[in-house]
Amino acid sequence: MSDLALSTTAPAAIGSGKRGLRIVQFVSIFVIALVMISPLFMLLIASLKDDRFQILADMGSFRAFWVSDPTLSNYREVANFSGELAYGRYLINSLIILVMTVGTGLVVNSMAGFVLAWGTLRGKAVLLAIVVALYVIPQESIIMPLVVMMSRAGLTDTFAVQILPWVASPLYTFLFYQFFAQLPKELYEAAEMDGASTFRIYRSIFMPLSLPALATVSILMGIESWNQYLWPTLVTQTDYARPISVAIATFFGQDSIFWDRAMAASVLMMIPVLILYLAFQRWFVSSFVGSAVKG
Amino acid sequence: MTVENMSAPRPAPGAKRPGRRRDRQRFWQELGMIGPAVVLMAVFLIAPFLLSFWTAMTNQPLVPRPTPVRFVGLLNFQRIFSDPLFWTSLWNVTRFTIWVIPVQCGLAFLTALLLHQKLPMRNLLRGMFFLPAITSMVVVCVIWGTLFQYPSGPLNQIVGFLSGGTIQPIDWLGDPNWAMFSIVLLSAWQAYGFQMIIYLAGLQGIPDELYDAARIDGAGPLRRFWHVTMPGLRPTHVFVLVITTIQAFKLYTQVAILTQGGPRESTETVVHYMVRSGFAEQKLGYASAVSVILFVIVLVIALLQRQLLRRFDV
Repeated sequence: MSDLALSTTAPAAIGSGKRGLRIVQFVSIFVIALVMISPLFMLLIASLKDDRFQILADMGSFRAFWVSDPTLSNYREVANFSGELAYGRYLINSLIILVMTVGTGLVVNSMAGFVLAWGTLRGKAVLLAIVVALYVIPQESIIMPLVVMMSRAGLTDTFAVQILPWVASPLYTFLFYQFFAQLPKELYEAAEMDGASTFRIYRSIFMPLSLPALATVSILMGIESWNQYLWPTLVTQTDYARPISVAIATFFGQDSIFWDRAMAASVLMMIPVLILYLAFQRWFVSSFVGSAVKG
Repeated sequence: MTVENMSAPRPAPGAKRPGRRRDRQRFWQELGMIGPAVVLMAVFLIAPFLLSFWTAMTNQPLVPRPTPVRFVGLLNFQRIFSDPLFWTSLWNVTRFTIWVIPVQCGLAFLTALLLHQKLPMRNLLRGMFFLPAITSMVVVCVIWGTLFQYPSGPLNQIVGFLSGGTIQPIDWLGDPNWAMFSIVLLSAWQAYGFQMIIYLAGLQGIPDELYDAARIDGAGPLRRFWHVTMPGLRPTHVFVLVITTIQAFKLYTQVAILTQGGPRESTETVVHYMVRSGFAEQKLGYASAVSVILFVIVLVIALLQRQLLRRFDV
């Protein structure tokens, strides 16, 4: 688009000179971008190699970017649903945790955000101030007592213990509040005049309009849930509900690291995020900016 | 962003009052809608938060023992402050922060500047630069674990090539002098995309008229950068600085996976120290005291941010 606009307005001679410069510019930026993602590319290539010693040997040369006889044997080794290398299972565990956290999180936080924006409850302003203040508390500084609370409640090694604590979140409630608050008040008033109840206004009028907020919160919550590491290491002991992040980290506990398997498992872990990212690229970027306007 | 300036919309009272029954129904519905969030936050956020202050002043072990838990006052804090390892961990995260800020924010700023111009396939380029930011830290550790291989891993090959073989291979994660720096490298690579996006938004927020005006006044690209771009990005710089600092003080995952705080405590961090005293040494009270200290550090940084932002009146 911008390309066309420039070449039609500028005189031909200058246009072509500029064009040459811009091609150089584009190519150099593209090369920098390639360098930045080259580690990810190496990961993918290495996961297709059979021999873990060869992987390390290749790493030091350009062979790291080339595989002559690609094989899926590493993936076959790790993508099991039981046994020692049950990475298929861990992947599904992570997916269950993600879907449950995001699903319930969207409902709980959006309802709260809606009431904070449009409700008539007394003390609403105080609640809002509390939500904003709670945002300062880092996860790391509550997990010590939380682990004990959870184990007393008998929730160790369950899916619930990895979902429930992170469903309601000051940040996401606030993001929903912010979004709902900037919608025109005529929307609310008109529906109220028609006799719609608060919940109905929320569900039938505001929710259908909040696709951007829903996308933002889903993406942020999803990434957060997918990448949880510290919390699941503290509350999972068996592989029953172990997420893939914790499972991959166990490769490092061994005397000799099976890089081939670790790399295949890592690629498996990246695939869902990558699919989501490619499908919702536009939302991804705006949601990270959105989360930045908190604070 | 403060509570004052996010003025809540006030639903104007409807033209006709639908009556008390309707009011009551609305009250219960609103309560039902905000209830789940309030209960969950109370149980999983406020309760453990308050509990951590109490636990910090007891000698509670991780696993309950027959001997009753005793109130010990500030003894845990006293012990923490007289433990050299705690000071090492605090110094390490400070060191990490001082190093990671220029590397990570600099990388983010540079890539944002590169992307903030008319380019073909801009979205693709932005996507490529952003990809590491959505890569899980565990995966990043797998990748960089191989890049750091000693003595003939890729990084050592590159260093050897660039220096013409004069620099000996570096034991990135095994040498106490290098381990934290290596953690800085991989952390900056993983997270810069996030700050890049924030910088891009900041750059887009600077009105074109300012650049045009500067151009008319005869300012070249360099002067436009110093006198238009940089002042326009001041709040963005502050914000990026603060989130990077807070993030840096919570450093844990990459250290837990790759170095376990070693070698010779050179990568021990506050959170790692907390988890270690709480779980390896089973001293829950002590670990809670560390978590209180961590909270105070984060709070101070967040308050500083407010002050700074207010000074730049945004």
